[in-house]
Order: sequence, then structure tokens, then C-alpha cells
Amino acid sequence: MNLVKPGRCRLTEIDFADRSFPFSFGEIPPKLQASIKHVGILQPPLLLESEAGYIIVCGRQRLEAFRRSSPPTQELDILAAAGACRKELFLRALWENLAQREFNPVEIADIHAAAGELFSREELLSEIQPALKIPKKERFYRRYQALAGFSKDLRKLVAAGVIDPESVDLLREWHEPEYQALIELIRETGLRRNKLREVIGRLDDLARRDGVSPCLPLAAAVTAAKDDEGRIVIAELRHQLKVKLYPHLTAAQSDFAEKLAKLSLPPALILDPPPDFEGGEYRLSFSFSDSRKFQLCCRALNEVAPEDIDELISRT
Amino acid sequence: MNSSPELDWQRSVFYPATVLVEEAAADYPLTRSILSRLKNTQVVTVKRPAGDDFSSLSRLYSPRTTLFLALHRGRFLKACPGTAESYRCCLYQILHLGLGCNIGCSYCVLQGYLNNPFITQFVNLDDAFAELDEELAKPGVFYRIGTGEFTDSLFMDPLTNLAPRLIDYFGGCKNAILELKTKSVAISSLLDYPGEIGETVVSWSLNAPAVTAREEGLAASIEERLQAAARCRERGFRIGLHFDPLLYFPGWEEGYRQTVAEIFKYLKGSDIIWISIGAFRFMPQVKEVLRENHCQSNITAGEFIRGLDGKQRYFSAIRRRLYRFLVDEIKSYAPEVFIYFCMEDQYLWQDTFGYAPADNIELGHWLDKCCYRYAGS
Repeated sequence: MNLVKPGRCRLTEIDFADRSFPFSFGEIPPKLQASIKHVGILQPPLLLESEAGYIIVCGRQRLEAFRRSSPPTQELDILAAAGACRKELFLRALWENLAQREFNPVEIADIHAAAGELFSREELLSEIQPALKIPKKERFYRRYQALAGFSKDLRKLVAAGVIDPESVDLLREWHEPEYQALIELIRETGLRRNKLREVIGRLDDLARRDGVSPCLPLAAAVTAAKDDEGRIVIAELRHQLKVKLYPHLTAAQSDFAEKLAKLSLPPALILDPPPDFEGGEYRLSFSFSDSRKFQLCCRALNEVAPEDIDELISRT
Repeated sequence: MNSSPELDWQRSVFYPATVLVEEAAADYPLTRSILSRLKNTQVVTVKRPAGDDFSSLSRLYSPRTTLFLALHRGRFLKACPGTAESYRCCLYQILHLGLGCNIGCSYCVLQGYLNNPFITQFVNLDDAFAELDEELAKPGVFYRIGTGEFTDSLFMDPLTNLAPRLIDYFGGCKNAILELKTKSVAISSLLDYPGEIGETVVSWSLNAPAVTAREEGLAASIEERLQAAARCRERGFRIGLHFDPLLYFPGWEEGYRQTVAEIFKYLKGSDIIWISIGAFRFMPQVKEVLRENHCQSNITAGEFIRGLDGKQRYFSAIRRRLYRFLVDEIKSYAPEVFIYFCMEDQYLWQDTFGYAPADNIELGHWLDKCCYRYAGS
């Protein structure tokens, strides 16, 4: 880094369009804008000299704020790196920005993708990913490289936390019409995070299982999940997808509920099947607040015929 | 029994483009013998890999075409990992002589478990045999030992010639039976084995033909496997068969019916020491890896629920259908053959067979008895 030296340049000499060092995102904080308007840039930005002009390494927001409040010919103090190793500059900018704030997944993906232009895959896995707090696994490499290439609308949803990074692993194999259908669903229902991940996971499984586009099971579920006013009911949508993906399990659940209802147990008595009917242990529990309610529960249990229980728990 | 054109029993599934030799393994006889059988293969000596070294090495050498010759420093004989107590396991023992294979089955759960991506052969066999000497000297214990859990027992036997050494060793054991489990037909060393076979079982993993074609990569066809089984039976080996993993897919009944019919074209019920059955199951975190490595496969997109051991399993009604169908099919040809479930619960045992082992020890005893029965035959 000994090639970095203090200098001065004009705003017009800075190539604001170049985002080789993509460490600044979002709006300029009003306080920063106000400060720079009144006292200028106190900490000089780090710029890389290139044939087309200076490329911003560190200090994009300060420069953007300065540009808004100054004429284009305005000069400013800078730290200029001439012929310095881009990799070193990238690491310097990365660590400086990491010290200042947390990045959202899309920002991480953009940094990851930009690093991919400079660093080998091995360096990305072993140096950049740990710095970004990403596990050193290929799976995460693929996740963030894919996310960087997502459409603007989809990136917005990931950046806002509506779509979680784990869902990106599934979405990266989807195609544009499928993204659009998903974005439309999110817009209409407000689905987000965990429930959205479940929906995406089920759509992905159904599409794989049946060898079709996720749009198909989505369209079918949406049609079936609309209420009288044409609004999509989220619980019904999730149920529809569950029935499609787990036909045997949902049939068993309905069958159990039907047989249980026939037993006419008092509400204080709860009879649960094994989770997902795995194993053979059924669970009976009841609640009471006095001896009379206790007796009621006991009497109700005594009235259940053994053959009804046999039928309830029969495995066919 | 069927007579078919002779297969190439020397056919190895695996000829590595590169052999990585761990420094300390370089002078072992098995290393020298494997290298002497390879022509035009790049041989690279490496330090014992640790930490991230495997991922660095795998970027330099393709795991699919690289063989790693190494020393094994832990126990060679290990209890089969099995699964949680809620499911019955047979108390099998694994002789850990190698890792991985290049057959490339989409459903292979090893993809999600191993840190070492290379097909690995441990070469310090004397240490393995010394450990076996010590373990098998324990009185009153019977061992069923297999080499095909973390690798395929025979897929590169033409390179290692390991099978005859194991048959030699176990031939002298009164309280142990060896099972070599494979999807290959590399049985020449078995057919040419000069001595008494002893108590060695050669087992083939079987599936529906459509599954074999779609999901089992370089594995031999079902017909080839059964031809190989018939030849091994003629040579005096006991034959085991494993339907694991059973998959639920459109047309599964016809597929498994075909395979069962095929079995009995080549084998009699009395040729078969045991048939195991297990429906597809996997740890949840393996799903991503399986999809990543086999993006065309849809086997993880079924009706899976979380089992009592945390693994993803088909919903029990599906398993019940698969099991009942397959057991009925097998029994229609060979009512006497011993069939057992691998990692299944007592309720499904009961529903399918009308009985269930009380615990893992009882299931283990049932399988041990199969061995005694054969030993007496």
C-alpha cells in the first residue's frame, strides 16, 4: 500500500459509474450530506488512478454527497493509489467498510461477485467469505454468486428481508416467468420469510417431482386458495400446497380428525397422533381445574369403546 | 437358471487418472501393488491432509478420477452407525478399508457426510488384520462384518485385489462372517479364488431397473449384477441382496416386480442368505447436497416426513405399501428366504411380517442364525 499518496483531483476526474469496489449502498444519510455541505470532506477518499479517471475504492458516499453540494470543477483532497494491486485495495476497502456496518445479503452478494473478478475461487472461499461471515462452503459461494445476478425486483425483496437467503438456494434454478409469478404472489399476499420459504420449498419440490415449472402448482394453489372476494387466503394456499406435496399424510390427518370427532371427547381431552404418524405412540392429555372436571374426563374416557380406539389408530 | 453371454468379470468401474499417495503410505505393499497395476496415471505424493487441505486438493485433482492412498489411523472395525433406538438395526460391523466410490448414485448419503472428497483406499492392511485378530479373539461373540458401507466392496478390486485377502482371513474365523457388498461385476478375483470359500457372503444392492438407469450412475445393470451373483453362487459363495434404498416413483410396482422376477431367473431362494429392505432416507442437510450434485434427479422431492431419528423418510403409509408389495413379491418366489428391514420401526415390521424383533439384539441374532444355518449347509 506504499503506492498510496495524498493528492488532489477535480470531481469531473472521478468515474462514479465504476463499481469495481462496490462497498456503498443505499441513500446518503442526511446528516452526512449536511456535514459535507458545511465543512466539506474531512477524511479524504481513497481513489485508484486509471486511464479513464479515478475509480472510487473507499468513500463513495462522502463523494456523492460532495458532488451534490459542489460544482463539477470543484477540487478535493484525495488519497490516490497509482498502480497499486487491486486485490490489496479491495481487501482494504472491504475491511474498512466491514468495520462500519453490517451488509444485507444483496450487498454481500455484490461484494462477493466483485471479488470474483479479482480473486480466485479458492481465495474467495478461504479469504473473502470468512470476512463476510459466510461459511467457507461451495454452497454459499453459489448462493451469493447467484443472488448478485438476480433481477432488480427480486434483489429488493432479498435486501428487505422478505425472501431469506436460504430460499435463494432454491430460486437460483428458477426462471424469469417463475420469479414474476412469485413476486406477484408476494405483492398480493404479503407473504414473507419463513412462510414464504415454506411456499417456495413446496413449489420447488412439486416442480421437481412432477417435472413442471413452479408456476403450474402455484397457479393451481392460488386458484383454490381465493376467497369469495378473489383474495388469496395464505393459510389455504399453504394447505393446498401441502395436500399436493403430501397427499398421503394429509389424507391420514383428515381421516384421523374425522374418526376422532366421532369419539365426541370433551374439549378438555386432547388426543394427538404421533408427529406425522411416525412411530406408534399416541398421546392423550387432559386439563382440569376441579374434581368435577376431572371426573368428567375420566367418565368420557371410560365411555370410549376399545374398537373405536382400534379403528382410530389402525394403520392401513 | 439363465445362461447369458459371459460378462467381463475383470471389468473395473474405476481407473484413476491421478493417484495421490500420502507420504507415509508410499512404502506399503498395497500402495506398490496398486501403482504397479496402473499405466499412464499421474502419481502425486502429498503430506497427510488436514483441515482445508482436502478442499484445496479437490480443486487441483478431480475427486471423480482421483484415488487417494492413505493410512487409516483410527479403528478399522466399527459398529454400523445405524440410527436412533426408535428404529431396529442389525448390529452390523463395518471393516473400514476405504471411502467413497465413483459409481455416482444420486441417492448416496455419503455425499453429505464425508470431508474427504476422494475415493480413498487405506493401505495399512496389517494394522487392520491385527485389530481384527484382537477383536475376534473375544469369546462368545459372533460378528457380521462388511466392507461395503462407506465404499463399494468390489468396484476397484481388479486394482486392489483385496477380496481374496479378506476371504483368506475370514476363512479361518469361526465367529465371523464377511459380507462384500457391491453394485459392480468385478468378481474375477472371487471366481478365481483358489481355496475354500469359508463364510463369505457376496451381496448385491438391487433396485428397480428404472432407478438403476436413472439414479445409479456407472453401476452394472440389474441383469449383470444377478449374472455375477449366479456365478459367485456357483463358485460357492453365499449371496445376499439389498433393496436399499427403495424409491417411490410412478411405476414403482412394475419396476420392483421386474427386479424380483429377474432375481429368480438367476438364483434359487436357497442360494440367498438374506434380503434386506430399506426405504430411502437421508439427513435433512443432505438434501441440498444431493440436489446440487444430481440436479436432474427428483428423488428428494417426495412425500418425506421427519423421522424419529431426525432423518427424512417417506410417510409411513408409503413405506408400508412399498414393503408389503416387495415382501409379497419375493415370498411368492421364495417363501423360505429371510427378509429383514434396515432401520425400520417395529410397527412396520409388525404390519408387514406379522412379527417384529423386540430390540436390535434380537434382530442381530436372527441374522446370526442365518449365518449358522448356512455354515451347517
